[in-house]
Amino acid sequence: MTKKKTAAPKKQSGPSSHRHTHGQGHCLDLLRQLSAYIDDELPSNICREVRRHLGACPNCEVFIASLQHIVTLCRHRPAPQLTSVDRVNMRRAILDAANAR
Amino acid sequence: MRAPAPKTPPQRPTMQEPDEFDRLYRDHVDLIYRYAHRLCGEAESAKDLVQETFLNAYRGLKDFRGESQVSTWLYTIASRACIRMRRKRKGEPEHELSLDEFVPTSEGEFRLQIPMDGLSPEETLQNKELRQALDQAIEKLPQKYRMALVLRDMEGLSAKEVGTIMGVNERAVKSRLHRARLFVRRELSARGITHHDDHKSGGLRS
Repeated sequence: MTKKKTAAPKKQSGPSSHRHTHGQGHCLDLLRQLSAYIDDELPSNICREVRRHLGACPNCEVFIASLQHIVTLCRHRPAPQLTSVDRVNMRRAILDAANAR
Repeated sequence: MRAPAPKTPPQRPTMQEPDEFDRLYRDHVDLIYRYAHRLCGEAESAKDLVQETFLNAYRGLKDFRGESQVSTWLYTIASRACIRMRRKRKGEPEHELSLDEFVPTSEGEFRLQIPMDGLSPEETLQNKELRQALDQAIEKLPQKYRMALVLRDMEGLSAKEVGTIMGVNERAVKSRLHRARLFVRRELSARGITHHDDHKSGGLRS
């Protein structure tokens, strides 16, 4: 984990946007723990703290919802399947390579 | 191509247990192809990786002691083979992802610009543009982060199993997974996805 420090944005936002300034330190602490929160791996007292913070910080609430969406999309992303011809051809190629030596 | 470091030199280099190998191949080739496709992002490299994996498994079969599940053993062989093949192809060092780079700095960066309100994940993923954006974001991940994300969030393994496969402790797995998720989130957030009604007119093609 990186050391706790105040936000050091890599890129500058435009003049019309404003920084996320609510409880900067808390938000950064939260950022570090979001996956553990999503995966339900945090002790209950820390979990309560996170929930309290989310209730008070709309930006963090939106952020965690978006991260949860990413996890959900990854979990449901279907993968292409092999054709039976590919299965047979690959098996033959593997056995040919194995017996070639 | 070499077998993954057998503990004792093989007695005979040729096939000893054809039935055993056929069973292994039949029962696990789809699993390993799915994993390979998710790691490689396209079919031909995935097939190469599957062949390399089962060739190594074939050679190491008699040394497999059953200390882990067969699937975990195959995932491990595939992961190592993928690292070797990619290193050979690209030869570039992996870069580390720092948490600091994922701190949002402007209002628009908090929200995902993805049309998924009221849709199930399956319906959301009918959007081809979104599928491609998701795949490209995963493909852009440095390898060790991509592996953690694919094994944990796509293959559905536990952090402990992923640690066994990647040869790191659970803490490292969780750290890599977290950075990988933040990376993919940022990629999709920066991109923004327009609304397509693919789910009304057609099925998943890719």
